[in-house]
Amino acid sequence: MKKILSLLLACAMVLSLAACSGSPAAESANPNASSAGTESSAPSSNGGASSIAVCIASEPDTIDPALNSAVDGATLVSHLFSGLAKWAQDDSGNLVIVADAATELPEGVANADGTVTYTYTLKDGVTWSDGQAVTANDFVFAWNRAAGTDLAADYGYMFEVVDGYAAIWEMVKDEQGNDTDEFANPDATLNVKAIDDKTLEVTLANAVAYWDELLAFPAYFPVREDVVSDEAWATDPSTYVSNGPYTMTGWDHNSVITLEKNEHYHDADSILMDKIEFYLSDDQNNMLTNFQNGSWLLIDDVPTNEIANLKANYPDEFVVAGQIGTYYACWNVNENILPASSTLTGVEAEKAKAEIRNAMALLLDRNYIVEEIGQAGQVPASSFVAMGMTNPDGTQFYQTAGTSSDYDGYYDVSVDALEDNFAAAVEVLKKYYTYDEATGKFTDIPALTYLYNTSEGHKAIGEYIQAALSGVGVNMTLENQEWNTFLNTRKNGDYSMARNGWLADYNDPICFLDMWVTASGNNDIQYGKGDHKDLAMYNLDLTGLGYEDIKVENGTWAQTYDVLIATIKSCADDDTRYELMHMAEDMLMSTGCIVPLYFYTDIYMLNSSVDGFFSNPLGYKYFMYCTVSE
Amino acid sequence: MNTKTLAYILKRIGLAILTVWVVVTVTFFVCQAVPGSPFVGEKATSPAVTAALEAKYGMDKPVLEQYITYLGDIILRHDFGPSIKLRGRTVASVIVEGMKTSVKLGLIAAGIALVTGVVLGAVAALRRNKIIDRVIMVITTAFVSMPSFIMGSLLMVVFVVKLSLLPANGSAQSGPAGLVLPVITLALYPAAYITRLTRSSMLDVLGQDYIRTARAKGVSGWRVIFGHALKNSLIPVITYVGPMLAYIVTGSLVVEQIFAVPGIGRYFVSSITGRDYPLIMGTTIVLAVLIVVMNLVSDILYKVVDPRITLE
Repeated sequence: MKKILSLLLACAMVLSLAACSGSPAAESANPNASSAGTESSAPSSNGGASSIAVCIASEPDTIDPALNSAVDGATLVSHLFSGLAKWAQDDSGNLVIVADAATELPEGVANADGTVTYTYTLKDGVTWSDGQAVTANDFVFAWNRAAGTDLAADYGYMFEVVDGYAAIWEMVKDEQGNDTDEFANPDATLNVKAIDDKTLEVTLANAVAYWDELLAFPAYFPVREDVVSDEAWATDPSTYVSNGPYTMTGWDHNSVITLEKNEHYHDADSILMDKIEFYLSDDQNNMLTNFQNGSWLLIDDVPTNEIANLKANYPDEFVVAGQIGTYYACWNVNENILPASSTLTGVEAEKAKAEIRNAMALLLDRNYIVEEIGQAGQVPASSFVAMGMTNPDGTQFYQTAGTSSDYDGYYDVSVDALEDNFAAAVEVLKKYYTYDEATGKFTDIPALTYLYNTSEGHKAIGEYIQAALSGVGVNMTLENQEWNTFLNTRKNGDYSMARNGWLADYNDPICFLDMWVTASGNNDIQYGKGDHKDLAMYNLDLTGLGYEDIKVENGTWAQTYDVLIATIKSCADDDTRYELMHMAEDMLMSTGCIVPLYFYTDIYMLNSSVDGFFSNPLGYKYFMYCTVSE
Repeated sequence: MNTKTLAYILKRIGLAILTVWVVVTVTFFVCQAVPGSPFVGEKATSPAVTAALEAKYGMDKPVLEQYITYLGDIILRHDFGPSIKLRGRTVASVIVEGMKTSVKLGLIAAGIALVTGVVLGAVAALRRNKIIDRVIMVITTAFVSMPSFIMGSLLMVVFVVKLSLLPANGSAQSGPAGLVLPVITLALYPAAYITRLTRSSMLDVLGQDYIRTARAKGVSGWRVIFGHALKNSLIPVITYVGPMLAYIVTGSLVVEQIFAVPGIGRYFVSSITGRDYPLIMGTTIVLAVLIVVMNLVSDILYKVVDPRITLE
């Protein structure tokens, strides 16, 4: 009897093991079986060509245009609302910003005080989904709501460029000049007016190169006062009144959001897809199964360990698209990384640290990271401002960054350069640390900690950095923290080196550069704070660019970088502005505190029966012009 | 029901309320002590925005005052407050909506687990050491030791990917067919556990003197089993079923993820990672109340099943 029992047990174990290990391979090695599934289930799930089922993410936190701060939410809102401008594809397939609710996107008129005024006329027949006309006042209301203190929206700062924004958020100062928690101008509003029902006039604090693009950003979409007076308006289809190509006809929380074509939309004839079902799932394997059996025609995420298989088995359906963002490691500028024996202090110490940090950045093989860890077509990065940002002449910003014409960015990250980089780094480190020729390692580099938030991918990159730096004798420990705690720790500067990443909000390098001004909430590196505050070691000379009074030698971070960013923000000339932005990045990179690793990509799977789909560099996806062939 | 029993039940209810209060209080203060805030993200908001949000949700007040306000809201106004992360939704609406799915799924799964578990357990006990007993024990050992994420993925591969028999999703759009796999995944572990529990307890009962007496007196085999043995062997099962029900109807994060089931389980985790304090409190209270109530119910059921047990 015992024999039979043990035999059975053994069989069960073998079976379950075989089933487990066999499943992923079997799934991907059998594309034919999946496409057979597509055929059988496509008619029932798609109901013909005028409806499409997709999955871009799990339940959105909100689809209120002003409150949304997520990419998936922006996709939904872009289908539901019509702002003054929108993203579109031109005839040759290039992405452009075109007028939507506005008749056109006119140039601004410069005023004597440096402000710039834009006047927009609304198209005829622009109405809400309940039939009421959209008025210029709806925009005035929506913008003040989105930028205001009552809502305190994450993306309220997108209105920073509009005249009046600063006054809204000005706080009453106490005797020491610090902000209290009381607003100085509780009645302040943005400088935006409805001249009449169809004419909107907005004044910007100064010329802004990316203003048209901001108009296509969800926070700038109109909402109607009586609709949003109900705080729960955006959670229920019956109260969700919008003015875009679609209306929301159903929201089963955590299951599906259904959009149907809005016949009241002013350009309804151009909309090809009648119904879009956005399924909500946060499980990549579930998404993949639904894609493989043909239920969902686009999924915005796939299991990382399946990427290699999917690339091979779905060459036409596995898509790697550009996304403007950089994955990087950041140093805490105040972390002491000099050997205990070092006598350097103040400015001298900081100069040495900058040199050391830049040297250590050369020790990393970014190709290994993107090929072995990322696996999703990411691009090795050697600059902070991400790939996809362009100069005024259309060339890539990152390709013109840095000083060398031999490679893009600030160091050569090609595989061929690895050895030279390593040798150069060791030479620099020898200046500050004790080198043991026998082992090829430095013996007195202080122990470091790499902080990351819990995730297999971040962990793998941390382990790589740990291994790479141990090659020269760095003893680095990894510390993993839960997401929210991690953000807190990094913001407070309680780390030596940390994982970091930044995705662009709009297509302009300034959204990468202005996060490092002293007072920025994103200044995790702690520039201009703590010991770094008083280090007068940075130079800024803008006299050659028409700013005769801006010349600082040996200034602090606040006296140089902050001034430079403020200058960029008020600069109206594109060429000068981009030159200034390159200067700002040069300054950032010279500190060595930012260690760029790779530029993000957006991977998704799109069923080959879908035509007319496009996405923008910010990751928003557009289904309104899609058709599905049987 | 005698007065002693009634007094006992009343005492238990009092204790239950005390338990829930302790859970609420501890959770509330632990939430405050944990680093982080609902208002942080990869992209930081300015201090002014954070201050405005804290004022909006009353988080600018002293912790003790927040605690008293919160208790007042839930006791006097039955108001669990707004969710901070899911802007525009109240905690109550999030919980009710999620519970609808989770309870439906959980009750079906619990029912299946209970019926199959008791039947298989009884069969195994009655056929002790026969081949059928061995088979049942091997299978249940496998199911008890296999975590649900493996079970769920396995079922998904077989029935969705390979055979294309069932939909991958447990949402309403898939209809009743969508519930099959999540229910099975949810039910397998408790079914296997109940089988083993029933078997061992049944074996224990079958060896008791009164069973032998009944048999000796010529009571028919089935009457011995159903009238005497089964009823008494269910006592440990009842102990297990109470908490099992509480866990199973509050949803399983794993099963919900794998099958995209719109239940409440996900919020137990996401509310904590997002520091959505009102939602953390809401989900914790629901789970605490359920467990306390289920324990109380199983205690009372003891009495029904076995009148010899006195509750005091």
